[in-house]
Amino acid sequence: MGGIRMSYEPPITDYDHIVEDCTCAFCGCNCDDLDYLVKDNKVVAVRHACRLGASKIMEDIDQRLLVPMIRGDDGELEETDWDTALDKAAELIAHSIRPVFYGWSETSTECMKEGLELGEYIGAVLDNQATICHGPSLQAMQNAGYPIQTLGEVTNRADMIVYSGSNAMNSHPRHMARYAVFPRGYFRKRGRFDRTVVTMDPKFSDTAKMSDKWIGFEQNGDYGFYNAIRAVLKGKKLHADVISGIPKEDIYELVEQMKSAEFGVLFFGLGLTHTLSKQRNIDIAIKMVMDLNKDSKWGLTPMRGHFNVNGFNIFMAFETGFAFGVDLSRGYARYMLGETNTIDLLTRKEPDVFMVIAADPGAHFPNGANQHLANIPVIQCDIHWGPSTELADVVLPGSFIAVECAGTSYRMDGVPIYMRKAIDKPATCRDDEWIMRELKERVMKLREEPNVAPKYVPNPAAE
Amino acid sequence: MEYILKNGIVYDPANGVNGEKKDVMFKDDIIVDSVSDNAKVIDVTDKIVMPAGVDPHAHVAGPKLVVGRLYRPEDSRRGVTQKTAIERGESGFSIPSCPTTGYRYSRMGYGTVCEAAMPPLEAKHTHEEINTIPNLDIAPLPLFGNNWMVMEYARENRIDDLAAFCAAWMKISKGYGIKIVNPCGSEAWGWGMNVHGYDDSAPYFDVTSRQVVTALAKANEKLNLPHSIHIHPNDLGHPGNTGTTLETLKSIKDIKKSTAPTASKRDQTVHCTHMQFHSYTGTNWKDAGSGAPEVAKFLNHNKYVTGDVGQVTLDETTTMTADAPMEYDLYRLSGLKWANKDIECETAAGLIPCIYSPKNPVNTLQWAVGLELFLSIDDPWQVCLTTDHPNAGPFIRYPRIISWLMSSPRRMEMIENREVHKWAEKRTTLATLDREYDFNDIATITRAAPARIDGYTDRGELTPGCKADIAVYDIKPNEFDPSKNPEEVEKAFSRALYTIKDGQIVVKDGEIVSTKPSHTIWTNVTGLEDEEARIIEEIMPFFRQYYSVKWNNYKVHDHFVPNPIRVDVPIRQ
Amino acid sequence: MKTITFDQIKTSSIALELDELNTDAIYTWTEDDFAKYNVPIGNSRFPITDYFKITVEGEANSPDEVKMIMNGDMGRVKYIGFRMSGGEVIVNGNADLHVGAEMSGGYVLVNGNAQAHAGREMSGGKLEIMGNTKEFTGASYIGEWRGVTGGEIIVHGNAGKQCGECLTGGNIHVMGDCDILAGIHMTKGTIEIDGNVNRWPGGQMKNGNIVIHGKLGRLLEGFVENGIVTDPEISGKVYPGKYIQYTGDIAINGKGGLYIDAEKNRDKLSAYSEGNDEYISLGDY
Repeated sequence: MGGIRMSYEPPITDYDHIVEDCTCAFCGCNCDDLDYLVKDNKVVAVRHACRLGASKIMEDIDQRLLVPMIRGDDGELEETDWDTALDKAAELIAHSIRPVFYGWSETSTECMKEGLELGEYIGAVLDNQATICHGPSLQAMQNAGYPIQTLGEVTNRADMIVYSGSNAMNSHPRHMARYAVFPRGYFRKRGRFDRTVVTMDPKFSDTAKMSDKWIGFEQNGDYGFYNAIRAVLKGKKLHADVISGIPKEDIYELVEQMKSAEFGVLFFGLGLTHTLSKQRNIDIAIKMVMDLNKDSKWGLTPMRGHFNVNGFNIFMAFETGFAFGVDLSRGYARYMLGETNTIDLLTRKEPDVFMVIAADPGAHFPNGANQHLANIPVIQCDIHWGPSTELADVVLPGSFIAVECAGTSYRMDGVPIYMRKAIDKPATCRDDEWIMRELKERVMKLREEPNVAPKYVPNPAAE
Repeated sequence: MEYILKNGIVYDPANGVNGEKKDVMFKDDIIVDSVSDNAKVIDVTDKIVMPAGVDPHAHVAGPKLVVGRLYRPEDSRRGVTQKTAIERGESGFSIPSCPTTGYRYSRMGYGTVCEAAMPPLEAKHTHEEINTIPNLDIAPLPLFGNNWMVMEYARENRIDDLAAFCAAWMKISKGYGIKIVNPCGSEAWGWGMNVHGYDDSAPYFDVTSRQVVTALAKANEKLNLPHSIHIHPNDLGHPGNTGTTLETLKSIKDIKKSTAPTASKRDQTVHCTHMQFHSYTGTNWKDAGSGAPEVAKFLNHNKYVTGDVGQVTLDETTTMTADAPMEYDLYRLSGLKWANKDIECETAAGLIPCIYSPKNPVNTLQWAVGLELFLSIDDPWQVCLTTDHPNAGPFIRYPRIISWLMSSPRRMEMIENREVHKWAEKRTTLATLDREYDFNDIATITRAAPARIDGYTDRGELTPGCKADIAVYDIKPNEFDPSKNPEEVEKAFSRALYTIKDGQIVVKDGEIVSTKPSHTIWTNVTGLEDEEARIIEEIMPFFRQYYSVKWNNYKVHDHFVPNPIRVDVPIRQ
Repeated sequence: MKTITFDQIKTSSIALELDELNTDAIYTWTEDDFAKYNVPIGNSRFPITDYFKITVEGEANSPDEVKMIMNGDMGRVKYIGFRMSGGEVIVNGNADLHVGAEMSGGYVLVNGNAQAHAGREMSGGKLEIMGNTKEFTGASYIGEWRGVTGGEIIVHGNAGKQCGECLTGGNIHVMGDCDILAGIHMTKGTIEIDGNVNRWPGGQMKNGNIVIHGKLGRLLEGFVENGIVTDPEISGKVYPGKYIQYTGDIAINGKGGLYIDAEKNRDKLSAYSEGNDEYISLGDY
């Protein structure tokens, strides 16, 4: 017959009940309007989620970790019971000298609380995916400032949206649809038609395809490009004809557009954080946004990639004063670039025990770091098999936060959301919070707390 | 457990006790007027005994605190201490971590703090932080002054609906009272603008500050709330803003205070916060002067107004406030790193580090204006000691401020030795004010008055039946001249001899000896449920369309408030 | 004069932290004191004598009279010379992170390479590294806008990224090459680089001076060319030769000076252009 056939999936009608207003546990959009159609304690359909969010739930049972495991002497993972696995993990942690607890971005703040107590007790380094992802953004923010707004502000007010180093259509599929571009805001009742969308990215990405303008500056040219924009904002005439691959006339035009926006927002991602100048790219992007506030109203938001990566930073900040890469090994919190971040520690081969919770370093870390992970004991607390499971010596199967277990998360803009529970977890799995608490209690029995000062010594700098 | 604090010199202004030698007794968590012979004796002979401190306005828990901590690791590292058997490691100077906040207040003998600004959309965050602060009771104030719904009700003068809205929103966010910050101005900031003066309107909403503030004041009284409206007026930090401040306060004059028992603790219908920042004359920083005499005079003649000072401590600190446009202005002046957070439909916040230098004329003026206010407002029941922590300085400086208030020679020394800039002398009346606070006055402005102003019935005084929140300081007031010994005053008030919270000894000899989880104080208006439901139904289409979260996920669930102190306030009394 | 010699017995993959053993702390110590001392390694402590044979000779009445000699590869010994106010530390080998950080006086010499944060937030004294350094040499703490305020840092080899970041006083001299963003955010002080700089020195600098004797890869738009200067005098020191001088970073109304060797950077010179006021005629050179 020929012709293109659209695939058609009939709506799911065979379900027991719907759990409404659940929160998606994938990217930093934390969309909280998901409806789970549940039958026999399984989610049989999801409404309103994007492909990423839906796939995590619908494909969950594939590669699901269900039973605690310990790697035997033959190098194979063997199933065991909870007590044995927890005891083994606790023993490893209790006797470690430079433990690192990494991950946290896909679990709840309630679980982080237990994990931090354990980390404070034993003197570990606590770090999260920011260290490989938006760490440079946080560092830049620490140098330059942080003018942000909640996503609803963007919906209601923004008439110019810039995506820089971020391919939102692929990494945060509903970002444009639910928050930034398409929705009809209070002051932007025509939705998309009331906004100008610009993508600044060396690549003509899917987001660029949906934008009104694409600025493809050359790779690693970010810092120079932003510096030129700032110079133009200060009234300077550009010297070179082409800066980072962009003709100066285009830069002048862009600056005029940005200045005349009523409310502009810059969303940025790893394209900025991980090219040559790293945190200095974000630094200058932040400064540019601050400069723009002289003539107009602008803000920015880092496109956080996990639903609780921001949550970990927020949680650690209010508990310890520092956002990530927090080294508690001396009995007090330290944060130092190049010293207390996971990748640097692994590259220097310092950690002797590594616990990964709700993360997949096996998949995401640079090879040099993973080589060291292969040589040290690794404890994995997760819900899915992944490359990290191949590195793990003890595997503790957790429960699926926001589906099987409730918990608090923080969206990319810092809005806290309490994610509800929709179904029960598999009988052999345990809640992350419970796992951390058990580990903590067992470690406390095995080793006396190191680095406790016999008496309180005030810090003269705080007097 | 029963205790008797023996032979202390008690300052309990709420009960008219002014330096009397008497015993204070408590059983479990309550003060009692008699105990059995089994009571444990704590010998505090001749030492100062007061109710535990009550801070009516500080920023200690919430989203903008975290923005501050996230972006100022250099401030966090400043206060780092090693963990002990009882305390977790501390961090932070102007923005302490949550555990640190609890410890440091506790050491100063404080037991209650009012978290001055909570955005309802992010209230869960505030509560997560409150739960991490030990040893304190915290009452968070939700922000209403730039809320879109509030502005609509105010413009249309729908006071009953506004009251139902406020009641509902305090339940939803688990908040204590009505906080107003730069009304209409932070909404204007949504477009990069601000409002100027009390009769300027918010763009698009076409409602003036005056309308918003008076409407909220009426709603507050209709609801019989324990606390009055708590306002941060427009034009903060601008030379010449005294006019706006007085206009704002005058506009409340004819609003009748609720006569209900739940509102009877307080006398005021408006509490003006960090008055120092709102008391400048002049047209720019070159000709700026002090508006403190005018503002003080107004308070002296108008008992319906109370205030807290927001005293500058001459430190490097971090400013953070829901007056976001003001923070941007500071950024333009100083060039230091600026942070900002606009919150949809509700409010905005800004932050910037600030170095208050005694060599700087403007900072000295600010310092002097604060002291002038303290010394020119006659009735200590109308004024509270705050630094708007961390805006004018960190709360650990309260003892230093106490030492300044108690010692005219010290103040004069700072002026005459040029420890501060000569504007202190030239632009303010500070050098002519030799009034000295005594311990009774101090007890009033740091305990009794804030408790009364906030409407607490269970603290700020040593009345039997009240909470056993007590502080003992290592000074023998009958043999000690605070005027000549400001350093001793500061030292003693920094390290309480004892801090007792709910009958538990948490501090001894200036050290933390035990910790307990914090409580959250929130107001539950009863009897208005139907009106609240109707208002919510009316708002729902708007909410669905323009908020980025679902209604079901907006509220603060009960488990975020594991230790509530719920203040029930019936609409009909 | 007291000489304390640390002869390395073994290394550790988890770094030793020497912050408690600066000259200020140990100028009164005897060999017995060292025998009792347990050095922090991770969350534990181990006898320092497991890692070093320590010999003490002579007497000292102040940190200034102490000479610490460390023999061996200190590539996993952090915080050497941390917060010292006087005396000498000689490392005959590489040094780990934070060598000479926060020092206010004295002299630290590393006969080898150093890691990141060498000389961080120095306020005085002299730090000399014969080999290469990594990122944040003579830089500030993250978030702080005030960095090194005084003293001298000399790197004989190459320096890593963001050398002299937030420089607030003092001098840094890199004899080798320098990586990107040297002198970023500086407000005072001088950075001299003998070798080449690949990109973007002086980003967002407010004041202070950067002198580059080698080739500069990329210049930021925020720098305005003022022309060629000969034998400029900068903070009391004369730099012989011809340099193209820039003022920047205009993006923040900065008034810092950037001097790059004119011969090696001819390609940066803007040609004399009729009617184009902002380009300055250079004449012969």
